[in-house]
Amino acid sequence: MRLRMPRMAPSAYIWLFLGFAYFFIPLLATFLFSLDKNSTGKCCTLHSYGWVIHNPGFWHTLKVSFLLALETIAISLALFVPTVYWVHLKVPKLRPVLAFMALIPFVVPPIVLVVGLLDVYRGTPAWFYAKPWGFLVVAYVILAFPYMFFSLDAGFRSIDVHTLTEASHSLGASWVTTLLKVILPNIRAAALAGSFLALAIVMGEFTIANLSQFYTFPIFLQYVNETQAYPAAALTLMSFGITWAAMLSLLFIGRKRGQRAAFLTGAR
Amino acid sequence: MEDHEAQELEFWQKLREEGMSRTQMLKRSVAAAAGLTVLTTPGLAMARGMAAAPPLKGKGFSMKEMIAEAKKEGHLNTIALPPDWANYGEIMSTFSKKYGIPITNNNPDGSSAEENQAVQSLQGDSRAPDVVDDGPAFAISGTAQGLFAKYFVSEFSTIPRAMKDTRGYWTGDYWGAVSIGYNANLISTPPKTWQDLLKSEYKGKVALNGSPLTSGSAVAGVFAAALGNGGSLGNVQAGIDLFAKMKSSGNFIPVQSTPQTVASGQTPISIDWDYLNLGYAKEFPAANWKVTIPADGVYGAYYAQAINAHAPHPWAARLWEEFLYSDQGQLLWLKGYSHPARFQDLAKRNVIPKALLTALPDASLYAKVKFATSGQQTAAKALIAQQWPSKVGS
Amino acid sequence: MGTLPFFAYAFAFLFLPAGQVLVGAFKGEHGGFTFSNITGLFHQPYIGAFQNSIELSGVTALAGGVFGVLIAYAAIRDGTPRWIRSMLTTFSGVAANFGGIPLAFAFIATLGSIGIVTKFLLNQLHYNIYLHGFSLFTKTGVEIVYLYFQLPLMILVISPAIDGLKREWREAAANLGARPIQFWRYVGVPVLMPSILGAIILLFGNAFAAYATAYSLGYSNLITVTLGAYYQGNVLSNPHFAQAMALGMFAVLALMMAIYIPLLRRAQRWAK
Repeated sequence: MRLRMPRMAPSAYIWLFLGFAYFFIPLLATFLFSLDKNSTGKCCTLHSYGWVIHNPGFWHTLKVSFLLALETIAISLALFVPTVYWVHLKVPKLRPVLAFMALIPFVVPPIVLVVGLLDVYRGTPAWFYAKPWGFLVVAYVILAFPYMFFSLDAGFRSIDVHTLTEASHSLGASWVTTLLKVILPNIRAAALAGSFLALAIVMGEFTIANLSQFYTFPIFLQYVNETQAYPAAALTLMSFGITWAAMLSLLFIGRKRGQRAAFLTGAR
Repeated sequence: MEDHEAQELEFWQKLREEGMSRTQMLKRSVAAAAGLTVLTTPGLAMARGMAAAPPLKGKGFSMKEMIAEAKKEGHLNTIALPPDWANYGEIMSTFSKKYGIPITNNNPDGSSAEENQAVQSLQGDSRAPDVVDDGPAFAISGTAQGLFAKYFVSEFSTIPRAMKDTRGYWTGDYWGAVSIGYNANLISTPPKTWQDLLKSEYKGKVALNGSPLTSGSAVAGVFAAALGNGGSLGNVQAGIDLFAKMKSSGNFIPVQSTPQTVASGQTPISIDWDYLNLGYAKEFPAANWKVTIPADGVYGAYYAQAINAHAPHPWAARLWEEFLYSDQGQLLWLKGYSHPARFQDLAKRNVIPKALLTALPDASLYAKVKFATSGQQTAAKALIAQQWPSKVGS
Repeated sequence: MGTLPFFAYAFAFLFLPAGQVLVGAFKGEHGGFTFSNITGLFHQPYIGAFQNSIELSGVTALAGGVFGVLIAYAAIRDGTPRWIRSMLTTFSGVAANFGGIPLAFAFIATLGSIGIVTKFLLNQLHYNIYLHGFSLFTKTGVEIVYLYFQLPLMILVISPAIDGLKREWREAAANLGARPIQFWRYVGVPVLMPSILGAIILLFGNAFAAYATAYSLGYSNLITVTLGAYYQGNVLSNPHFAQAMALGMFAVLALMMAIYIPLLRRAQRWAK
């Protein structure tokens, strides 16, 4: 039978178009503003973008925040994937407990969380307390937890955990191998979704970094927004674009590895 | 009543008594929470050997020695000093260039509360702020909490009695008044008074610099509105009512006015500190921004410098204050459109360049400026907390 | 047990600070145990702030949930080019955390009094939305803005679940003569429902905890804004009262969970 590429459904066109319009127009408005000249308030100049690019704070904070995001994603996945896997496999009764816990970060306002963390961990060594790689990441993993959990939960729900695990064990694989080579590729989409959210959270988190006196990208963003006009709009779009590019690269990384593993195990 | 409490009261009374032409009550609601960096821990101090202890009084102390010691420390941590706020940008860069001491300015848009919080949370950390620029309420509460060190700048005697702590814990640095800034391209009839803002031609055009629930600058706006609507410093109900009226008629848009909204014309009228509005006029020529002090309600506030009792760089902190209160520092503040603390002293000695004076609105507009006591502040805040969310905030 | 590292982490970095909130809510201004913080919550304007927050979160969670599923499905289903899904998913990742001043300004520049859409409607279609009572700075306006991060969140979370709706099921149903709407009613929606419910709860929590965007739009009658104000202490200062508010938020979310769990059980029964 010849494989025919199915045509796109008309309703799909409508919803995608509406979604596109809603998301795109505010960005367009920001873009038009970023092109305005300071002297006249009208189009057109790229001066605002130049201002951002030539600002050392931009590059420094961007690097810091990216590294923080990668660290947060790594720790989150390492911590949450085995946990959700275990709960789905062995202890489904714990699921509501975890779901409830996942809502706690929403309730503890960042401001309360950071003051609490600063207080509790004040005496700890400087490499943890005074560096963003320690203190901030710890807080960010907590912030990413709800999003990671619900993403992973939806992902695990859509696969048959028991069958996959049993099959893998019956073929002689260890727990670690099962997790890495069988389960992970199958929840690839969910893990990626959670990672995207974690990345976005770190690139957008302000309160905690601010109160613990670290200099990250969102701090820089907020500062520019409070003090500059046109460069603020330029920066908004640039940070949007940069984060999007980061997501796309995460997607490609995930896809390559996932495809190979999926091929090997014959899973989807 | 404790000695300094009496002093506080006297302070406020003196404020009113003092010749109000350009009085130097600067209340900086943003209160630079210059995190005074926690001073070096005892261990560190011992490790530095017998490092000389910084002096209590600047007057009579050798500037050369102070500069040398500060240079040895090699750094200054400030907090909550936006570069475009009363020309802090130029002040910081001038200081760094003059003495070769780099400045790390954390949390440029922090509030006074955050500044004091940073002093406490980061105690012992080298990132702690060395100096803070607090609103008086926080300068006073911070002193009560033991956050600050005593220091009398050389020029202490020329600062008005009402603007300093006689024990030396904090010193007022500059003040400003609540003003109305407007975009002359979009506003054909300039608003001159608070009552003017109710006119229907300003529908959808009036904005405030934040919410009075979180921003001291916005609270000042409510005070000023109260004065302009038949209220008083002791009862800001009239101020809340004025904003409520503007909200229901559609004149008031509750959006926080930022440089973006000012430059783009989204907030054609903005209620803000005079030094900020005047700064906008210079920064955004396209907006054709003009500033006026409303005739029927003039409210002023000052900010105060204080040194962290545990500052990581105590000498640099004191050098910083010496710089700020020198003629050069004070004139830089004036360049930023604020009234420096030693304004009257500078005027008496004729050292103010004419250009700087003419850049500010007319002195007569400032003549009626009023400052609120901490008691009045507390009462106003309580009233605002109760009424603002329902009457204006939603 | 395999979940031990997780619980250890959660205890150290979540429960401890959260516990502070619980304990602090019952502390008076000068130390000592008191219920006054809690009882104070039931008066205006705090109870109004709670109501507002709940309503705002509920509306945007439902709207974001429904439209999010529709958009996600449109992107994932057969016939839509694959690149659209990649673009949508990655874009959603960014937009889900887009908020605060940049988002507020983007919408002010769009739907504000001189926004591009406002001006377009005025000049091209001669329709002044502001004259007809619309304003970006009302609850409706804030809801419209909130959707900008609610929709993407829904899209991201529900996409893996939509993947789980195997294409074969749809084809099998078609082969058996079922119309699309029957497929959805008897197969599609029941299978998706548990994940949809979970996602809507997530959206609720997300909106409930949001702060910066509403603040920039000047909408301060929300519990998070009020809490922040009291905790910060810059104008109002009563950190223990703020902690009581956090406890109140906790109660609201616990209530949500209490509604969610039985709903989930019913949905799972359908799915089976």
